[in-house]
Amino acid sequence: MHISDGVLPISVALGSGVASLAVAAWSVRQTDADDLPKVAVVTASFFVSSLIHVPLGPTSVHLLIPGLVGVLLGRSAFLAILLGLLLQSLLFQFGGLTALGANALLMGVPALACGLLFSKLRGTTQRQHVIVGGLAGGGGTLASAVLLALLLASGGEDFFGVAKLALLSHLPVFVVEGLVSAFTVSFLFRVKPELLRQQRLGALS
Amino acid sequence: MGGAELIHLPLPVLLGALLVLAGCWLLALKMLKLALAGEQEPQQERDWSVPVIDAAAGGSSIFHRWDVRFKLVALLGFAFLVVATRSPWSALVAICLSFSAVLLAGLPLARSMRRLLAMSGFLAMFLLIMPLTAVPRPADTLLVFSGLEYLPFNLRGLQLALAIIGKACAVALLMEPLLATASLPRTIEGLTRLGVPEKVGQMILLAHRYLFVFLEEARRMATGMQVRGFRRRTSIATLQVMGNYLGMLFVRSFERTHRVYDAMQSRGYQGRFPAPAYFAVSVSDWLLAASWLLLGLALLLFDRLWLGGV
Repeated sequence: MHISDGVLPISVALGSGVASLAVAAWSVRQTDADDLPKVAVVTASFFVSSLIHVPLGPTSVHLLIPGLVGVLLGRSAFLAILLGLLLQSLLFQFGGLTALGANALLMGVPALACGLLFSKLRGTTQRQHVIVGGLAGGGGTLASAVLLALLLASGGEDFFGVAKLALLSHLPVFVVEGLVSAFTVSFLFRVKPELLRQQRLGALS
Repeated sequence: MGGAELIHLPLPVLLGALLVLAGCWLLALKMLKLALAGEQEPQQERDWSVPVIDAAAGGSSIFHRWDVRFKLVALLGFAFLVVATRSPWSALVAICLSFSAVLLAGLPLARSMRRLLAMSGFLAMFLLIMPLTAVPRPADTLLVFSGLEYLPFNLRGLQLALAIIGKACAVALLMEPLLATASLPRTIEGLTRLGVPEKVGQMILLAHRYLFVFLEEARRMATGMQVRGFRRRTSIATLQVMGNYLGMLFVRSFERTHRVYDAMQSRGYQGRFPAPAYFAVSVSDWLLAASWLLLGLALLLFDRLWLGGV
């Protein structure tokens, strides 16, 4: 789920760049220096997860995990996603330099929302964790796909076809992401529950 | 479809065009493979200390001598000016400018080509979809293929797609001169001096380092799973295994990173790596930055005034 250079109108590219800088600045301020290793871990894992392919019928999809990043990092999630995307663009040319702001917004804002959702509704039981984690994982991807379509459609009516196609192609991914996120949260709840706690990361409460 | 001009063509023309496109793409892949084959080093223990972004940082070209801060600002500004253009012709000029930057910096072409290929899937989608979905306007030329009358091929859509592809390639070609001509810590230092918080610079360095460790870890775990009989299928069980796999990757990475971070702190790490970086601004830094931005500006004006920003 990346927009490459040259697709967006210049006003949208600049506007989303400025907006994502503002959100990133806020996200940096919310990040404690002691949490840097954790944010770096999730940034790197966010990058690696985009190389993990899950088979889906005759084709395969790769994971995006904006929701899971939000669940793990809370308010620092935006920073992690921005940096993960920056590294993807620097190393592999996924996404692009001038579209970095738009890409960060379309995955980072859902991540923040999912982090908030998770911290509010997680409860204490494993069952509830899994359900909310799955919702956050699936919802994060769905919200990202909708934002992607909206950003693409900002290019005018000629881009509506591309936007629709992008949205449709992400519908199956959203189910896969929801299930994988639910399983990951369930695993972390049993094995290392402290990773699911956001309180040192500027608790979202 | 309004007053759009219609041109009827037999179906084989379309098939032929598609074949030529697919052929070009395959040829590019093949050539890249050949180019990369020469670059492969003999299998030996991986040297973790070598980051890959800045492999050619040791050169002495005009880009290597350019102050990092000026380079970042000028090339980023140039990139935004390039994506502001609208015509495929200005995109072509931009590609030539970016390509000359790669040549001026004396960088290996294979790495730049690999960047272009990485985007080719996404961009090919545009090339296929845009001509079919662009809304016909009175001044447009539509190609209608016999047998596919319900799917007119809009040439303005093709023009839009070509402009997008050109701009994306031009910016992608700039990446190597921008990043590979100075060591990564130095580039980060330049960013810090431009006002990016130090925390962010440290995060980029840490994440960039961990990335390769985690990739290796992920690969090792995947091999282990395969040896134990795991096969990926379209099933809930597969998704459960993938979820656990991702969770285990988080747990292992986190524990490893924490150990490393504790070790760093016990050795006196206080949020930055002490690296002596001397920044001296010379007239040529200013001149080079100004000329790149002026080139970009000229391109944008040429695009908007001369070509009318199609």
